[in-house]
Amino acid sequence: MIGFIEATISGILMGGLYGFIAVSLSLIFGVAKIVNFAHGALFMVAMFLVYWILVLLKVDPYLSSLIAAGFLFFFGYFFQRFFIEPILRREKETAPLTVILLTSGLMMIIENVALLLFGADYRTVKTGYTGKVWEIAGLFIAQPRMIGFVLSLILILLLGLYLRKTNLGRAIRATSQDREAARLMGIDDYRVYKITFGVGGIMLGFAAAFLVPFYFVHPAVGELFVLKSFVIVVLGGLGSITGAFLAGIIVGIIESLGAQFINSALVESLIFIIFIGCLVVKPTGLLGKQRE
Amino acid sequence: MRGEFPSKILFLRRRKMKTIGIILLTFFCVFYYGLGLTYAQQEVKVGVLIPLSGGLAVIGENLQMAHDFAVKEINEAGGIKSLNGAKIKLIYADTRGDSKIGMSEAERLILREGVVAIVGAFQSSVSYTSTEVAEKYQVPYLVPNSLMDAITERGFKYTFRVERKGSLWAKDQIDFIADMGKATGKSAKTIGVVYENTDMGQAIAKGIRKWAPEKGLTIGLDEGYPPKTSDMTPVVLKMKRANLDIVILNSYTSDAILLIRTIADQRVNPVAFLGSSSGYSDPSFIKEVGKLAEYFFDLTEWTTDLKHSPFVQQKNVAYKKWNKDNRDFNGGAAFCYASTYILYEALEKAASYDPKKIRDAFAAIKITKGPAMMIPWTPIEFDAEGQAKGARMLVVQYRDGQRKSVWPAEISSTKPVWPVPKWEERK
Amino acid sequence: MSWNRTLFALAVLAAVLFPLVVRDPYFLHAAITVLLFAFLASSWNIIGGLAGQHSFGHSVFLGIGAYVSTILFIYWNVPPFLGMIIGGIIAAIASIGIGYPCFKLRGPYFALSTLAFTEIFRIIATTTEQVGPVDLKGAAGILISFRPGNSFVNFQFAEKAYYYYIILAMLILILFIHNWIEKSRWGLYLAAIRDNEDAARSIGINARRFKILALMISAFFGAMAGTFYAQFFLYIEPILFSSALSIEILLIAIVGGAGTLMGPFLGSLILTPISELTRTYLGGTYAGVQLIIYGGILVAVMMFAPQGIIPPLAKRYRMLFERRA
Repeated sequence: MIGFIEATISGILMGGLYGFIAVSLSLIFGVAKIVNFAHGALFMVAMFLVYWILVLLKVDPYLSSLIAAGFLFFFGYFFQRFFIEPILRREKETAPLTVILLTSGLMMIIENVALLLFGADYRTVKTGYTGKVWEIAGLFIAQPRMIGFVLSLILILLLGLYLRKTNLGRAIRATSQDREAARLMGIDDYRVYKITFGVGGIMLGFAAAFLVPFYFVHPAVGELFVLKSFVIVVLGGLGSITGAFLAGIIVGIIESLGAQFINSALVESLIFIIFIGCLVVKPTGLLGKQRE
Repeated sequence: MRGEFPSKILFLRRRKMKTIGIILLTFFCVFYYGLGLTYAQQEVKVGVLIPLSGGLAVIGENLQMAHDFAVKEINEAGGIKSLNGAKIKLIYADTRGDSKIGMSEAERLILREGVVAIVGAFQSSVSYTSTEVAEKYQVPYLVPNSLMDAITERGFKYTFRVERKGSLWAKDQIDFIADMGKATGKSAKTIGVVYENTDMGQAIAKGIRKWAPEKGLTIGLDEGYPPKTSDMTPVVLKMKRANLDIVILNSYTSDAILLIRTIADQRVNPVAFLGSSSGYSDPSFIKEVGKLAEYFFDLTEWTTDLKHSPFVQQKNVAYKKWNKDNRDFNGGAAFCYASTYILYEALEKAASYDPKKIRDAFAAIKITKGPAMMIPWTPIEFDAEGQAKGARMLVVQYRDGQRKSVWPAEISSTKPVWPVPKWEERK
Repeated sequence: MSWNRTLFALAVLAAVLFPLVVRDPYFLHAAITVLLFAFLASSWNIIGGLAGQHSFGHSVFLGIGAYVSTILFIYWNVPPFLGMIIGGIIAAIASIGIGYPCFKLRGPYFALSTLAFTEIFRIIATTTEQVGPVDLKGAAGILISFRPGNSFVNFQFAEKAYYYYIILAMLILILFIHNWIEKSRWGLYLAAIRDNEDAARSIGINARRFKILALMISAFFGAMAGTFYAQFFLYIEPILFSSALSIEILLIAIVGGAGTLMGPFLGSLILTPISELTRTYLGGTYAGVQLIIYGGILVAVMMFAPQGIIPPLAKRYRMLFERRA
């Protein structure tokens, strides 16, 4: 019995982090309708940034997360500005294929440039809480995971507030609901896309900082999270931040509990089957709004 | 010319002699040129298939260094003496870890580069397929590291493999566990095998399923997890619940790092952990995991403190000094280094650039001295299927960050710590 | 119109004479690979180009064809040519199961769902080892034993030229089928669906039926390519089902021009040699550079010529032609 509780808790913690990583994808996908396959590569860039700041400047990841977030804001902003915007401006209905292939190509470039620059070694770090565990009633909870989960939760609440209360946030939500109407209201939708991408970058910057203490850093590390993030985004509902977070937790629990009963390799395919099922039955996801 | 000859017949005869003369002259020129070419052909081209990009680039780079070191030594010592001091030239081809690419690269090495032999390809699936290409073109192919049984079970004449067969790796692991039980009185009853769901992982698992019952061991967990998993906690929790005496692991480097950290976090405490080389023998594993790897056992083909031959120490020190990262040999690299020497011996024995003769040399070879003796068995020779006879594995234990040989006792330097201390008692 | 036919006939003639002139097996191997990918991209073109449904799941059909014909061959000695047809039929049936849920979706959702299917198949192929008497070998893949000599029954030839002619015939076949579909009434319906599915539905076109039919044809030929692949490379593994291969195939069709007849062929003619060459010359020393180049091509094409190479070329070609006449 205790094994199942352990598995559930572990699933929730990791799932929350998955969800947080997926939140930025959800924003971008929901607002700009961009299928961003380079999501994982951007995440990797953030992780390396946090890694090098830690190794060279001895700054703790939780502190340097602010720097990573800032850097990724600009990275995301310019990513959208230089690569994706020209295509959006050119075609009215951007074929998703074009953007998928474009971002796939960018992913390959970013990952392999990182490979050339940093080499193929798997790097890990040792911080004050790496490998430290809290023992609660016979359950072992890794400190960095718990801290990461809690911080993610806080940040998501903050993001929700931002989107609801600030003007820019409202502009973002408006654009995601109806691009044309938003334009008619005087919102510059192209600027909104850039900002959204930037905000997504901020989230990734924080997420990277939360993961570095207990994970490893490698040019291809992003690939582990890309498909999962897409599954989570769809499950949670386009454009819904809370939806993505909740869906992440659900995926985490399925992964963790599922592995206890069936072969973990098959659990992976289970997630994809659920993904397709969700798409067919309720494509707007758990908490998504009705659109198109 | 001198003037006209009175007779037409003489004229014609002159013409004929001129033509014959020219033909003979050309023939001699070509002949001497050819002879000159043979002398000028001061190098023996050998193809090397390894993964130099993609996920296994780290490993491929490691093996490449070992090959280069051996060739440097051989060429500096005078090259292949039976071929007038011809130097070995290694031509590397990146398989990208892909069997299809491995096959076409093997073909390219043979047809375009004209290699007389091939060495490779680390991954079993790539070696398995590219050796078939070499067999088709009748070029000898030496496999230093791949463990898939089937590589030397096809009746091929041109494949020679040094590594022990994968199913027997599992047998050696079971034998080790049984021996430890006898030696220390703390024997194991239940084992679990947790492995990456790739060809290597599945090969080990199959072997464990076969050999465990023979020594009275029951398998409590048989878990193949998908490679490139983002979170190992579910698998580790399953491991914990199964309450196993021994956990046998097989992973590539990234998973190995994540696994050990999660195992430590979750305080999984069996009698011992036993790795199956691969990620667990990768130098970056110990670098990244540090103290967590202490007391971890690993099945391996080689380690730096073996006692069966002075070459082990000698050559490792020389290698360390030579390579830019100051690295020791690890199992894979050591075997590549030694295999390059096996190749060298075969070339010396064949005294020819003809792949068929080189193949015959491999088949008849019997090495008992020289740097190839780094390999922990003797003599080095191949059976009718091309499998190295007498191949055997060893077990090391990580102690103070070093891989110390602990089994078999006759060639090992250290006594093992068995059972291993619990996580709570460490540090 | 007859100018096009003459050009085509000349091209076919050149292709037929190619192996008689070029005898280097390495070049033939490269040519066969180019034709194989041209064939694969052409089979994708039916659903992706003509019907406008950009499926990311084409590798599933390749994999099904490869595994079905190989297993039938190894265990029950079914000649691979027959196995090819059986594999094609099974793939077509499977495509109904895949198309049914996926075609309910549009745009990026459709793409992602087809992608998800490739992953499902790949995982199942990697994890499953024994199914009854059949050993699928899981991740290790299945190696087809090398039989010397040339044999149509075994679909294995020592002389590469045989493979060349077979794949050439297959390519010409699918080009004819593409052309026939495009010019038929059915092709009109598909074009309507491609340009605006809702409008097409509103005038009474049964979009779902036609989309699934197109997918079945794509699947059938994709599976045929799978059998050829298996018999040419003599090795199949679960990676065949991966999304990476799907992307490679559709990239070739896109770069050449999705929906056009010769687009996939031109795309393969350009991209396949590039990937071979970069691997040969850059693979060893600067590993990863070839992927940067590949990615760079992707980005460049998507940013500057997402319609592919053919449409701008066709425009220029027509301009040239008009000026002369």
